[in-house]
Amino acid sequence: MSGEGSVVERVTAFCRVLRERGLVVTPAESVDAVRLLEWIDVSDRMELHLALRSLLTTRREDLAAFDALFAEWWRVSQPEEQRSRDRKSVPKARLNASGQVKHVDAPALALSRWSSMSVASDDEGPAPLAMPSANESRAKKDFATFDSDELGEIERLTRLIARRINARRSRRWKPARGGNSSRVDLRRTIRLSLKTGGDIVELARRERKLRRTKLVALCDVSGSMDLYSRFLLQFLYALQHAFARVETFVFSTRLVSISEVLRRDEYRAALAALARSETGWSGGTKIGASIAQFATDWSRLVDRRTVVIILSDGWDTGEPEQLGDALREIHRRAGRVVWLNPLLGSPSYKPLTRGMQAALPHVDIFAPAHNVASLAALGRHLGL
Amino acid sequence: MRDEIARLHDAMEREAYVTDRAMATAAYLAMTLHKPLLIEGHPGVGKTEVAKVLARVLDAKLIRLQCYEGLDVSTALYEWNYAKQLLHIKLQEGTAATTREREAEIFSREFLLERPLLHAITQADASPVLLVDEVDRSDEEFEAFLLEVLSDHQVTIPEIGTVRATHPPHVVLTSNRTRELSEALRRRCLYLWVDYPTYEKELRIVRTKVPGIETRLADEVVRFIQHVRTRRLSKTPGVAESLDWAQALVTLGAGALAADVVDETLGCVLKDEADLRDIRSAVEKSGVDAFVAEGAA
Repeated sequence: MSGEGSVVERVTAFCRVLRERGLVVTPAESVDAVRLLEWIDVSDRMELHLALRSLLTTRREDLAAFDALFAEWWRVSQPEEQRSRDRKSVPKARLNASGQVKHVDAPALALSRWSSMSVASDDEGPAPLAMPSANESRAKKDFATFDSDELGEIERLTRLIARRINARRSRRWKPARGGNSSRVDLRRTIRLSLKTGGDIVELARRERKLRRTKLVALCDVSGSMDLYSRFLLQFLYALQHAFARVETFVFSTRLVSISEVLRRDEYRAALAALARSETGWSGGTKIGASIAQFATDWSRLVDRRTVVIILSDGWDTGEPEQLGDALREIHRRAGRVVWLNPLLGSPSYKPLTRGMQAALPHVDIFAPAHNVASLAALGRHLGL
Repeated sequence: MRDEIARLHDAMEREAYVTDRAMATAAYLAMTLHKPLLIEGHPGVGKTEVAKVLARVLDAKLIRLQCYEGLDVSTALYEWNYAKQLLHIKLQEGTAATTREREAEIFSREFLLERPLLHAITQADASPVLLVDEVDRSDEEFEAFLLEVLSDHQVTIPEIGTVRATHPPHVVLTSNRTRELSEALRRRCLYLWVDYPTYEKELRIVRTKVPGIETRLADEVVRFIQHVRTRRLSKTPGVAESLDWAQALVTLGAGALAADVVDETLGCVLKDEADLRDIRSAVEKSGVDAFVAEGAA
């Protein structure tokens, strides 16, 4: 592990370690890392550090993990055993799913319940083409009152409705045949005019492509909420193709991003994997803290084309001001904020909890999400 | 330290850009490895300035593409000059040329309007610096297209064919992180995170950019701003705001921060009504001096 010749090997090995610890390093980047060595002063530890960091990290969140791993790996004087012992203390990078899960504790139980409920309904048979009216009564039945063997049917219904929701117009153009929403396409018009010696006889037209809205879902998975969250997520997951991007978070006492996991794996496998790696959690809901955490750490996901959906009953054990402040911030950036409260499905419910009171001024749409019909109605609010 | 990096560092400093090793190293590698440099950071920390300074240091042309939502190929890459095409067709009327020949003629380089991206890869003499500013404001579809241009330094125009760069541009992308960029684009780039500067660095920036400023005023302005940044605001002031403020105070002839000038000029620092109210009342309560003292390095 000493001498000039081994620097190349060490850098290659370093890339491997980064990969093992959850930082994504592509083979092309490993090659670049070696190539980079001839351009810098490899005896200057700081220079090597800065150079490799600019190459091998891709976002701010990676920097701390990279710095720690670099410091550890470059302690060349220490014996191998010592180093591998130290390795355990290094924080995992956020990119890696298993690393991510490691920090997760609270939603554990809820997630394991989700995945165990899902097993039976693994695939849909031939799906009916429209929402059958025979299912009308089912559509209006509260999710909480279904037997577990009926849940598969509900999932199917949910997905069916999701497919019928249309995407919207974007600002990009595609050729069109005419119609009110189209404009003249000069490029194609000129081409057509060649046939007539430059006289424009026929106007080629173009129109906006379908716009794709982004969704961010923040789902309460504490207590009784996890059942409703499960259906909402199922619904949004089925809707994915109609949106440019769907980002999913779950929270009880803290907020956890599960989008990366959902994107990579098949839905149910993903939930099962998440649930398996979870152990022990304490009860209670901290909506304010969770939403504030989102506003601080993830606000870059939210812009005017984003619909932010929060599903919770609004029973908060924290300070309502915190929830109000965080929501105001999110509302300022987002295209729309939708708060779904399954309790709203009950006629006698009034949103009088302090959390709900703090939240409502910053919410565009306050709606129930306790049955299939309410999810279908939600579809209307998702396009921007 | 490699000599070239030290030289680049010094050259950037000579261009009145207060820089550090991380930035000089990343900029140097971007040029030697021919990789785009992605710079992320809060608004107003001098991300865009990096490209401008690099262009001056390299004595290269700066080509800027400002991104926004809905930015498309005809604004970023090329557009046909329709007026010229129509005129040409009219002038050709009565000649023996076939439709096919005429078409080939009006869809040639002569009738092409170069937009920034095409412009950047068709430079005849030397590599320019291409600044793709606020790439997070463009949409995902554009990002995918940009990736194509950046990875091959070539562009395909259906009527003309592939245009390959003779002198690949030095590319700098900036992002305020209003949207998460795609992993593919990130992988393609070298990465540099620019944080709010430390007290020492910011003091150097203020004194470099606002030459006439009194030592005491510069110190107080920076301490005040450093303290303001520790508070929860909806728009945290960047270096751009410190400079605006310092400049305004110098113009007003202030030698130090006093309650009345702070009150008059605080709008240079805070651009949000609620923030302004919060800080004003905090200053009123504790006094300017306490505010400055809390921003101690």
